[in-house]
Amino acid sequence: MRLADYLTWLYQAINAHKRRTLLTVFGFSVGISAVILLNAIGESLRQYIIQEFTQFGSHIVAVTPGKTETIGIGGLLNTVRPLSLEDAVSLQRLPAAEHVVAVVMGTAQTKWFQRGRYTDVAGVTAPAIDAWKLTLVKGKFLPHDDMLTPRAFAVLGATLKQELFANKAAIGEKVNIGNHSFRVIGVLKAKGEFMGINLDDMVYIPAAKALKLFNRNSLMEIDIFYHDNIETDIFSEQVKQLLIARHNSEDFTIVTQDDMLKSLDKILRFVKYAAAGLGVISLLVGSVGIITILTITVTERSKEIGLLRAIGFSSAQIRHFFLGEAVALALASGILGYIIAMSSLYIAKLFMPTIPIVFEPIVLLLAIGISIVIGALAGWRPASKAAKLEPVLALRAE
Amino acid sequence: MRLADHWLFSYQALVRHRLRSLMILIAIAMGVSSVLLLTSIGEGARLFIEQEFSALGTKMLVVLPGKKETTGGSPPIYGTSPRDLTIEDAQALKRISTISHVAPIIAGTASVSNLAVSRDIIIIGTNRDMFSVRNLKLQQGKMLPHSSETRANQVCVLGAKLAKELFQNSSPIGQWLRIGEYRYRVIGLLEQRGESLGLDLRDMAIIPVRSAQMLFNSPALYRILLQLKQTEFESNTIKSVNNNVAKRHDGEADITIVSQDSMISAFNKILIGVTASIGAIAAISLVVAGILIMNVSYIAVSQRQQEIGLLKSLGASAKEVHRIFIISSVVLTSFGTFAGLLFSYFLVFIVQYNFPDIPIAIPWWSTLAAILMAFILAILFSWLPANKAASTDPILALRGEQ
Repeated sequence: MRLADYLTWLYQAINAHKRRTLLTVFGFSVGISAVILLNAIGESLRQYIIQEFTQFGSHIVAVTPGKTETIGIGGLLNTVRPLSLEDAVSLQRLPAAEHVVAVVMGTAQTKWFQRGRYTDVAGVTAPAIDAWKLTLVKGKFLPHDDMLTPRAFAVLGATLKQELFANKAAIGEKVNIGNHSFRVIGVLKAKGEFMGINLDDMVYIPAAKALKLFNRNSLMEIDIFYHDNIETDIFSEQVKQLLIARHNSEDFTIVTQDDMLKSLDKILRFVKYAAAGLGVISLLVGSVGIITILTITVTERSKEIGLLRAIGFSSAQIRHFFLGEAVALALASGILGYIIAMSSLYIAKLFMPTIPIVFEPIVLLLAIGISIVIGALAGWRPASKAAKLEPVLALRAE
Repeated sequence: MRLADHWLFSYQALVRHRLRSLMILIAIAMGVSSVLLLTSIGEGARLFIEQEFSALGTKMLVVLPGKKETTGGSPPIYGTSPRDLTIEDAQALKRISTISHVAPIIAGTASVSNLAVSRDIIIIGTNRDMFSVRNLKLQQGKMLPHSSETRANQVCVLGAKLAKELFQNSSPIGQWLRIGEYRYRVIGLLEQRGESLGLDLRDMAIIPVRSAQMLFNSPALYRILLQLKQTEFESNTIKSVNNNVAKRHDGEADITIVSQDSMISAFNKILIGVTASIGAIAAISLVVAGILIMNVSYIAVSQRQQEIGLLKSLGASAKEVHRIFIISSVVLTSFGTFAGLLFSYFLVFIVQYNFPDIPIAIPWWSTLAAILMAFILAILFSWLPANKAASTDPILALRGEQ
């Protein structure tokens, strides 16, 4: 039998019951599009979060005081081995260090005459504006004073400025932050949230002043932004050696942005595959559909099969007919499912233009590949049933 | 036609095509059980967290230093504020009549060493009340002394894992160890208990709060835990705590109070949300099963043309024929749903029976939603095929033409 004949036969078989074919294809394509959609949503989420984290660049090393394995809260607690401003100053001398940002966070009330507001206070150093990609609306950011003896300047976040000063000019005014006097020298542009922390309802003051204000002996974190011509491992080793020389022991924790991104990426990839895995359930149900419909078709077409066998078709050929039908159905579903998934993604993009949507050709190939495999598996049993039909009995078919 | 007759009629029709019916049944059962099993995992996570909280006792308030007026923001987790919350502040709270226990906490990291073994861990400075507020049990020895808030006694209570690492198998009670620059005597050993809300108590040392003040050279409390006498006093107590602190802090209540209830309900909200959306994703498979029902119903309608013709010529109305086909798929769906329920509950039961530590349970709402959805889909997807059957012309059908 020539290929053309084979294809004509397939086409006629599928075309004979249009509605049946359509429904089978539709059911299976819902499964396929569920897998593709969930995978795409997972991928978008992953890219969005990674984007959030890499907006500050990827050449960052963070040092926190204490050598505990409890990630995250190390810097917030007291410590007998403080990380001092002098440490930050000495880290600045590393040739590969571009910016060194010392960080102390806390909460305090900022007051201007009768108006006051409790917000987060960020004690930072001058390079924070470049490092954290902050933008000024008015005035200047904290100047490059001596890290240990900075002047009492404050830079207001957009929300805080609005709450305290409304539309009046804030630059040059004196504000009280926790009863210490600061002069406002800048106002920042609204930036939104990062990791659940509102960066706009915040006041930025020099780290040394924040240590005094909060009566702390240790910085919470030192972020070092380094040149991109040096390997992460080499640089973090330099940081480590320098701090060990100063502290006489390794009483701090170094986390590189690379490490953090890697572990984050691992988690997010897992979420993505888990989501796609949930979609696979629908795909399984869809393949049950293909098995059912093909079995019905085989029974209905017993007479035809008997005739084919009687005029000399081998049982292998009969099996190929029905396997071909199953694969064709699954393939059509795969393509339809891909179209459904992609068009719903593009419609979603119309409403939420900020979410990244990724076209992954590999997913299309996978969808088609998986469809063919499932189609073949689902078609196997009905096809074998057809192939095993006894021609004489099949022709008589009651 | 009576309902019983309907069921019998449908049953016979379904049994006639055993394989086909079985496949649909499997498809529905797969959909139902995927909804149930996936939501049971989410519900398990929720139960786990609720368990963790209730292990702490239910009447707890947490006082954090600092305050934020940012709308929708998180509480001030840093614990740094220009005006420290002090041990004296905590002592003043004891006078509030609705509070039964007050546990001030100074937390920090330090290295603990015994001879050559040294570990960097979290040190909790607190008082005796902490043991009842957090429901800490001792394996050996005593709790912190009553004078924890007034005297910097050099004594400590160790977590089980830490004790094992420092002293191997010998009893740590009465032994001396070094925390930071000071020497402490071990007076108690905590019971082996797992992680408690992200705080691994097995790997910690607890010392009197005054000693912690000396160790970290800072009077600032990290948190104060309050235990109420009764839950109903919560809102009143929050008010009194704020007033009390304001009186001591120049009229400013610069603290944040988080109640345990609000923490539990925040967690519950998130987890129920996640569980429900996972369930909804699993329910897509029910839709796929529904499409299969529609497809097979159409086939059944065309195969049973003559039968329909006969029924109609015997006087069955279009409505009755319609009902026959709807009921037939409802019968199939109820078997499928039942199989799915049976399978899921059985599986969850096996897990619960063999691994009682894993909290897993099928939430009632997902059971209800899965059953309802299965039936609604069955009716919805067999509606059009049933219409087709109902509009069959009896004469043409009997003649075997369409």
